[in-house]
Amino acid sequence: MPVCHLEPLNPSEANCRQAYHSVFLDEPNQHLIGNFALLPLRTRTRGPALQLPPLPAGVTELTIDASSESYDPLDEVLQLFRANTFFRNFEIKGPADRVLIYGILYVSELITKIKPNMGRRDAEKAVMNSALDTNFAIPGDAGFPLNQAFEPPKDRNEAEVLRQYVGQMRQELAQRLLNRVYADGSNAPSKWWLSFTKRKFMGKAL
Amino acid sequence: MAPQTPAVVMDNGTGYTKLGFAGNDSPSFVFPTAIATKSQGGGGGGSGSGRPAVANKPSFLTGGAGPGSHLSGKRGTEDLDFFIGDEALAASAGPGYGLHYPIRHGQIENWDDMERFWSNSIFKYLRVEPEDHYFLLTEPASQYHLNYSAPLNPPENRENTAEIFFESFNCAGLYIAVQAVLALAASWTSSKVQDRSLTGTVIDSGEGVTHVIPVAEGYVIGSSIKSIPIAGRDITYFVQSLLRDRGEPDSSLKTAERIKEEYCYVCPDVVKEFSRFDMEPAERFKQHTVTYPNGKSVTVDVGYERFLAPEIFFNPEIYSSDFLTPLPNIVDMTIQQSPIDVRRGLYKNIVLSGGSTLYRQFGRRLQRDIKHLVDERIAASERRSGGAKSGGLEVQVIEHKRQRHGPWFGGSLLGQTPEFRSYCHTKAEYDEYGPSIVRRFALLGGPGST
Repeated sequence: MPVCHLEPLNPSEANCRQAYHSVFLDEPNQHLIGNFALLPLRTRTRGPALQLPPLPAGVTELTIDASSESYDPLDEVLQLFRANTFFRNFEIKGPADRVLIYGILYVSELITKIKPNMGRRDAEKAVMNSALDTNFAIPGDAGFPLNQAFEPPKDRNEAEVLRQYVGQMRQELAQRLLNRVYADGSNAPSKWWLSFTKRKFMGKAL
Repeated sequence: MAPQTPAVVMDNGTGYTKLGFAGNDSPSFVFPTAIATKSQGGGGGGSGSGRPAVANKPSFLTGGAGPGSHLSGKRGTEDLDFFIGDEALAASAGPGYGLHYPIRHGQIENWDDMERFWSNSIFKYLRVEPEDHYFLLTEPASQYHLNYSAPLNPPENRENTAEIFFESFNCAGLYIAVQAVLALAASWTSSKVQDRSLTGTVIDSGEGVTHVIPVAEGYVIGSSIKSIPIAGRDITYFVQSLLRDRGEPDSSLKTAERIKEEYCYVCPDVVKEFSRFDMEPAERFKQHTVTYPNGKSVTVDVGYERFLAPEIFFNPEIYSSDFLTPLPNIVDMTIQQSPIDVRRGLYKNIVLSGGSTLYRQFGRRLQRDIKHLVDERIAASERRSGGAKSGGLEVQVIEHKRQRHGPWFGGSLLGQTPEFRSYCHTKAEYDEYGPSIVRRFALLGGPGST
């Protein structure tokens, strides 16, 4: 057996490479509920999120760059999802990272709804069923798995706004995930995306 | 001796043995360091042959009281019934033979098996007369005044090796070189290397373990050696787990290994690499065909494992839950723990060696990541000093064409030099002084030699 001859190191010294963080961490004037950021989204779903301009001509969801003014946290979620699901440790550096975490965990959940032999139509039904369901846990609810890292909203009003915002995230993520999983136009889901069903970012699931 | 016979270069590693002649570009034989011997009967009748149990220790460790330790004293016909290398693997698949690996963690554990392994290497594979040849053998770092962690060899092992080579094989002369030093010498073929220095950091990654070994002027700095439990085998396992996640039609270890060797490379950034696969799927995704002995074949898709598998050197967390420190950080720590006056030389000459360092862009990524750590530290100390400017530190990772069998090739280079024989101990010297003579060898390829 190979033996590790390293003296034990404390985490700061070990200087471990970290999973990828949100580029929105330094975004000014973030609207916070608890310690969750309600960042502007590029979506036509109804809700409290500020709207970002639609994709400029010639840019697709696949090619959008973080420097574009239309780039939103959900683009980021889908970009980082495959890389970050390999990590069990994640140090939250700010409210925008919580948006990223929630997004990634929700994509994980959505992917389990798509079965290898589903056509796009059926997958859409399954995925939107989950996305439109308003019966989901938000920070502070007993069923929310990350309550140690997420602060609850202050009152019922805030809770309602947060729920609507998260709802928007879920619907928009579902749409964009379908675009990626069915990107090749063959009406069969990408086996490359479905291979991530068993991986759990931070060892958690929603 | 008018025309000089070439020296025999033998590099016996934990996994593979490399055999050949000095002056050649590559070893003549590469096979597993494995031996298949007749299993000592099952159960009670085991010692039916009536010979004493095999002593695993050299004579001086048993205080000379044990039975005449070397094989010559107790050779029955069953002692000649064994196979080494690939033949050993084949034989052990059938009945009657047990497979043994005489080297563990770079060190010889079973001297009887090793002697038989050597004798087959010499007589059956290389087919040479040992009395006509000088031998260059390798060993892990041997510095007995330093700690015994990582790949260090006690000096008694050298004596025992000498005993076998001079007394059993009657070889003409012997030199035992340190693998890391030979790996440095092997890098002299790279165009990036201007001065043939024996100062540098060797990153040796084979099948089981990856070692980071600092060497100053030909001597291993044993106290700073570090080993990490991530190497070729782990990359294979990781490829396999990714194949299984996708339910590929063949996810055997063998297929995973082929995919690792044929398709994997190191990428600059994982997230960007994922998008590259999204944008140009036709070029990035590959298909691998596995053909079975019965003529049937299946096609396995090859995707993200191409860059994710070697990424475990740089981001061990994606594979392992208990070992988390990236290789670049380990290299940096190793050099930081070495004496301050050699650090510059250690950063400037980081040499790769071993099969698991062959991935495309491996050296480049390593250099970039180490440079990043070094620059960060320099910037921090500049800030603390309030205005002092550092001249910077050169970080250079050397990739070269002989990386796969680095130590063997270094041995081949040094073994062909005209002065090689004068660095060896000869049979006559051994007879005069005894085994302890091999505790010291002059530094081959060091200052003063060509």
